[in-house]
Amino acid sequence: MELKSVYYFSLQLISNTTIMNKKFSKNIILIAILAIAISGCKHETESFDGPSLVDRFGPFSGLAELEASLNVVDFAAEETVFFTAEFNKNVDWVLEITGMESGSVKRFTGFDSSLTEANTLWNGGTTQLPLFKDEMCSVVLTIPEEPSYIGTVEVQAVSKRNYANEGALFTDFETPLGPDLFVGNFEFEFTPQTGQQSDIPAEGNTYFRLEGTDNVVPNFFVGLVDISAKVTGNTYVELPTNVPEDLFFNCFMYSDGGPHGLAIVDFIFDSNGNGTYEDNVDANFRVEDYDLATWDGWIQISHPMSETGISQEQLESLVAIRLLLISDMNAQPDPPLQVEFGIDFMIFTTGAPLEL
Amino acid sequence: MKYYFTKFCIALTILLCLSFDAYAQDGSSKATQSQDDKAKIQFNGLGRAIISQTGIDGNILEEDSSTIENITDGEFLLDLIVNASPNKTTEVQSIIRLRNEFGGFFGAGMALEVRELWLRGVIADVLKYRVGDMDLALSPYTLFLPEEEGMVNEPAVFAPQREVVHYEQFYTDDNTRRMQGGKLDFGLNFAQGIEDLDISAFVARIRGTDFFITPTRLVAGGAFDFSTVTFNDSLGMKADVGLNVIHTFDDLRSGNANTGIRNTVSTIDFDITLLDKKDISFHIVGETGMSNLDTAERIENDAGDEENNIISEEDDTFLDVGIQIELKKQSLILSASFIDIGPDFFSVGAQSKRIEYNGEKTFYNRIGTNRMLRRPTLFDLNRDRGIYTFRISDMLMGYDPRFANAMPYGDATPNRQGVKVGLEYGKIEDKINATVNAAFLQELRGQGTLQLKNFTHLRAAVNFNIHKFISYKNKLRLTLGMQVESTSRDGQEIEQVDLNSNLIEVGLEAELFSKFELLLGAKLFSAEGTEYIPSIQSFNDIQDFPSRFVADDKETLTGAGFKYEFKKDTYVTLQYNTLILEKETDPLNDYDLNQFYVLYTMKF
Repeated sequence: MELKSVYYFSLQLISNTTIMNKKFSKNIILIAILAIAISGCKHETESFDGPSLVDRFGPFSGLAELEASLNVVDFAAEETVFFTAEFNKNVDWVLEITGMESGSVKRFTGFDSSLTEANTLWNGGTTQLPLFKDEMCSVVLTIPEEPSYIGTVEVQAVSKRNYANEGALFTDFETPLGPDLFVGNFEFEFTPQTGQQSDIPAEGNTYFRLEGTDNVVPNFFVGLVDISAKVTGNTYVELPTNVPEDLFFNCFMYSDGGPHGLAIVDFIFDSNGNGTYEDNVDANFRVEDYDLATWDGWIQISHPMSETGISQEQLESLVAIRLLLISDMNAQPDPPLQVEFGIDFMIFTTGAPLEL
Repeated sequence: MKYYFTKFCIALTILLCLSFDAYAQDGSSKATQSQDDKAKIQFNGLGRAIISQTGIDGNILEEDSSTIENITDGEFLLDLIVNASPNKTTEVQSIIRLRNEFGGFFGAGMALEVRELWLRGVIADVLKYRVGDMDLALSPYTLFLPEEEGMVNEPAVFAPQREVVHYEQFYTDDNTRRMQGGKLDFGLNFAQGIEDLDISAFVARIRGTDFFITPTRLVAGGAFDFSTVTFNDSLGMKADVGLNVIHTFDDLRSGNANTGIRNTVSTIDFDITLLDKKDISFHIVGETGMSNLDTAERIENDAGDEENNIISEEDDTFLDVGIQIELKKQSLILSASFIDIGPDFFSVGAQSKRIEYNGEKTFYNRIGTNRMLRRPTLFDLNRDRGIYTFRISDMLMGYDPRFANAMPYGDATPNRQGVKVGLEYGKIEDKINATVNAAFLQELRGQGTLQLKNFTHLRAAVNFNIHKFISYKNKLRLTLGMQVESTSRDGQEIEQVDLNSNLIEVGLEAELFSKFELLLGAKLFSAEGTEYIPSIQSFNDIQDFPSRFVADDKETLTGAGFKYEFKKDTYVTLQYNTLILEKETDPLNDYDLNQFYVLYTMKF
């Protein structure tokens, strides 16, 4: 702005020379040019342009080995661990922490010359589901452009991070649901595997699996499961907020990538206010069908409740959640194939999706 | 900038209203020469016929069976200039081109096009206007087409083909750029203080929209030049001052594009004569100014109206100031200047180059068994119109540091600070005339490192009119040219740069008989060392340094031929040129290029 002001001033001065006398004109011109000349040498020169040549082409060497700030960490007690290493130049690095029992992966990446608390602080979170358990974790540091470099260390997680504190947990399927669970196997199409299973949980030791084949009554519908809000110990779900835009529903959903399955999550509003879910009486709200063909393994599903169309008043009387397994008969071969999905750790959070 | 333009427009209006003794100024105007009330039509033009055989040979072709070793081509063209003056204040001109490629029969390879079309005239004997094609230049930092690389004082034997390139790309000696648009000029004389004042303004379209993502690009600008009266008659003190503004912008209402650039450069140039005597004159000369580069986005505001929102902005300044001393008796002009061109100084109108080094060459673009992209050589720079352009680029163009590393974008090369010195001796018709220029520059901001590059640049040209030494009746002229460049940078080994290049030109023009000349010439070029060439992402932002550039080349371009000049600008020449390219560390990729051609050019 300073330079622009000088210009406008100079412009005005030089324009005014048309009505000034000769001597004064000369001085004005010289002053204006001098002012501009003096102000014409300010540049931003403290940094440099482009990537660092040393980073780009310089030889790589590790200056300090990979180390963990703690060998044993208690995430449930909100302990954290960070990792350190040092190189002679900035490099693209990848630090991968793998749960040796769960297979969970936490991944840090960056372009730095050192790993510090600022870029590798781990609070027990996960990049790739399932969640970590209380387990031994292997930590591996690699640099893609330097294939020969590898750093390893192990960290013992004596307790996992407690995600249940980060919102209102609906259910994590860790205990039997008893009378709060209704399995609607009306067409006898569910397999015996439908129910709480422990083979591949996303969190803890068990999850809920819906599995079946739409081959008895070929009508797309395989079966459903209603989970009453009473599973939380209350008639209605105690939500951290009733504002639909601020309330996020989160869960982990599993698919084997099969091409014909659809999953639906319905949120049930107790229309008649009797404290229980009555089919065809109470209103249900949903976001969309989840196309199970679009992923393989566990993923996190999160959305604000406003996307279901439910109102703030209706959220105050959330009486149940219904899970439906649909078989896309338009795409199914004949006879149709089995479809399935798993679900785990259903939790409501405020303001943002559950952060892993 | 809108305040600047507002001020400019107000000043223009006031001056028009006050211009009782105003007169139109355009020295090149033919309209003012057509004083007859009767309509006039004139036919002029240029005819050209060229037939050439180009060949390639060398180590690189030993395993290469796909490259054709000899290519014969040529063209016959007629540019017919139709100039009409329907009245004494209006003139319209078009150039209609008829072109037939060598070997084209029955219409195949034939083209008919309008090469140029413009209209100009004078309104009320005051305001000159021009619409259509026009050649524009303001100052070296605003709108200017810098010289191409690879030549200093090029031997005359290489001139005919370069003239063809220049003609095809509308290059002029005034470093103008060819544009399409409209222009206004007028001038004023004053009785005191200011002696005369010239104002010009123009607007031109330099790119059309594709109706999708590319918006129409326009350039508008103007100059406000005035000369003072002599302040002190005994010393001859006076000043010539100019204000220059150029604004390049994308019209975001064109097509579906929603982002575009705004590049504004405003400068003041001056030539202050402190002393002007019979034997000597002393001047302070220079130019200073600033550039502004914005990226604008078209958005819809709360009221539902569309408006432009600036999403990025970059400013910088430059300074070029120096002294010039003319020793009139000695025919000697000495100059020295200090330059400080900011690293973020961006002026599309002045920094766009003539040569597109990434452009596709007309001959042998790829050669060798792996179809290697051939780097432009002296041979290509002399004759290949395919790698030349007059268009304004929207980012800093690529360059070859072997040919120009100190100032690849001419005077307006950003990120330079240092001293330039110059010497001019004699006139072209004297026994000896010479020009020497040197620059000692340093980067202001490092590239890829905080270490700064240092540049040394030396250019010298000397002409010997030998016939004046020995009283030979016909022309006998020896021309010499030289360019030496050195670039260095300290730092860690990986940061170090050390590139040296030398170009030597020797030419002989011997008029054996009246108007019949023997032309001989040679250009010897060598480059050695290493450098990093940045790849530019947008505007002047460096995206990366793809790899270390290693130069180990020697190029020898020689030419010999005859030229017979029927009259000025009408001649026939027959020549043989050859280029030998040698790579010290990669001799398997050495190759030679040669060319035999006949060129007949006629202006009428």
